Amino acid sequence: MGGEPFQPPDVAWSGVSARLASARRVTTCLPLALLAIAASALAVLLGVGWLWLVAVAVLAGASWAWWTIGRQVRSWRYAEREDDLLVRHGLLWRTVVVVPYGRMQYVDVYAGPVDRAFRLAKVQLHTASAHSDAYIPGLNPQEAARLRDRLASRGEARLAGL
Amino acid sequence: MNTIDPPPPARAVAGPPPPVADGAWHRVHPLTPAIRSWQALVVVLVVAVQDAGQNVLRQAAGSGLDDGGPDAAWLRTAAPVGALVLALVVGVLALSWRMTRYRVTGEALELRHGVVVRRQRRARLDRLQAVDLVQPLVARIFGLARLKLEVAGGSGSSIELSYLTDTQARQLRNHLLAAAAGLTYQTPQAPEAPERPIAEVPVPRLIASLFLDGGVLVGIVAVTVVIAAGLAVAGVAASAGLLPAALGVVTVLWRRFASAFGFTVTVSPDGLRLRHGLLEHRAQTVPPGRVQAVQLSQPLLWRGRDWWRVVVNVAGYTGRGDNQRTENELLPVGTRAEAVALLALVVPDLGIEPGEDALAVVAAGLDGDGRCPGGYLTSPRQAVWVDPIAWRRNGVRVTQEVMLVRRGRLRRRLGVVPHVRTQSCGISQGPLQRLLGLASFHLHSTRGPIDPVVPHLRERDAADLLSDQAVRARRARRTAPPERWLERPDSTSDRTGQPSAGVTPPTA
Repeated sequence: MGGEPFQPPDVAWSGVSARLASARRVTTCLPLALLAIAASALAVLLGVGWLWLVAVAVLAGASWAWWTIGRQVRSWRYAEREDDLLVRHGLLWRTVVVVPYGRMQYVDVYAGPVDRAFRLAKVQLHTASAHSDAYIPGLNPQEAARLRDRLASRGEARLAGL
Repeated sequence: MNTIDPPPPARAVAGPPPPVADGAWHRVHPLTPAIRSWQALVVVLVVAVQDAGQNVLRQAAGSGLDDGGPDAAWLRTAAPVGALVLALVVGVLALSWRMTRYRVTGEALELRHGVVVRRQRRARLDRLQAVDLVQPLVARIFGLARLKLEVAGGSGSSIELSYLTDTQARQLRNHLLAAAAGLTYQTPQAPEAPERPIAEVPVPRLIASLFLDGGVLVGIVAVTVVIAAGLAVAGVAASAGLLPAALGVVTVLWRRFASAFGFTVTVSPDGLRLRHGLLEHRAQTVPPGRVQAVQLSQPLLWRGRDWWRVVVNVAGYTGRGDNQRTENELLPVGTRAEAVALLALVVPDLGIEPGEDALAVVAAGLDGDGRCPGGYLTSPRQAVWVDPIAWRRNGVRVTQEVMLVRRGRLRRRLGVVPHVRTQSCGISQGPLQRLLGLASFHLHSTRGPIDPVVPHLRERDAADLLSDQAVRARRARRTAPPERWLERPDSTSDRTGQPSAGVTPPTA
């Protein structure tokens, strides 16, 4: 775990809220669980044996998703440095993105219905590049607002042309 | 947008051309609506002429035997409706023309347009990224041209003035470029910058290059084989269904040919000027320092003649829409000497170590690999498992000023990104790469055809590259040349604290 290149020295990483895991689990595992229940109900009512297999497979998928979501959410980290913001995430496919404050064009804060139910917000950074798609999901709304203001003010101080 | 105060009365554009930057509102050319909707007009005209002709014929032949029959009755009701629709369309077009006005001031170009929803757009000239003069065939017949101004504000941030007369458009372009450069002039018209030719593409070379390009060749061969097989197995009727595929290949070929026809590159104090097009003429101007990244590439079959294609990332040239690919093309096909000369123009300072040969560094990037010198950081041997063909070519060379990214064994590519233009960067690692201790380095440039990625470096190297590049880009930004490229660097004190968006809301 935690290979060298993805752990730059002297960087204080902050994690995202654990409620993001709950939100994602609700949106992915709950439908799967309902599907499993429906399959088993049908298996009982119709007496079709192989539907049990379906139910078990779906349940297995749901528990695997449950476990992975937890790890995935824990892998989301960000760090505010003097001149840039670091965002890293991913388990199998891992990425680190470094976005200089001077390159930020604007910052978005999103919160969908599920996000709001779990008191979460997502901060998205935009530069002139389509590839530096750095976003941090699952922040506390207060933390998201603080980050947004901080990024905006730091960006203004270090603004550069294209 | 509805609260814009009514524009002052527009001045007529006729007569001797006044200085372009007079700050008054002008209208575009009165023929604009006709040229914009000429296809529709042609259809209407053809239908009308056909109808009238048939009527005449019928009357001549039948000599009023049944008074035209049901056809005449249909015509009696349809004609007024048609006329009404036509009048309405013409009215709307005329109104939209009346409502379109533009104004040029010292700092900005403003455009007001729209009938129902009034829009006003203001482009700051110091944020100008490129100016295109476009002349579609029909506009060319009438001596008109469209002026397209790209400012860096993401997609859809350009301003288009269509149509102006040829001379008007050229004078306006000269003024815009002079103003964007920070140049002041006393003459009524901005001086046209002198040009020096750099490269041009002869037609035979263009045709040969199109047929030797891998993708097109594969398309041609595939379509030919399939059609031949169809003819042999199922006869003519069955293979007729394959006609659309053949047509598609022909269309692609034709489009590339027509857009790159007569391609010339010249250089002037305004920047690079590209002229090309068979039916639709295009004259693009890319000022100095607007190129975000440049890439030299060579499809496999061009290697025998050592031809190269040069493309660039320019903010605002999104490479989408009606002119995909061609907009970002600096040279569709050229010799190595021409391509390298262009690279030197776009990136004047490679920032290599003193005593080192810049041409050798570029050559190592163009066709060298891990076994030849040139100071490139390359993929280690174990990368052969994830990148069996091109792993030796993968390489990156970092100089004081730029990053050179070398890739591709079949289709060779060399990307060059100045540190000043680095937007952000990152590294990524997939599961296989992780097993082998590899990671890929990504440099993020503005939207365009070039996405500089150095795949499969050693983990340690990629991490170092990431942390060092962040520092280098920051240092380069501090000493960046001014946006107004002809201005003295010491008179730039008023440029601090500018908003970064190119299109700003009206201040009035």
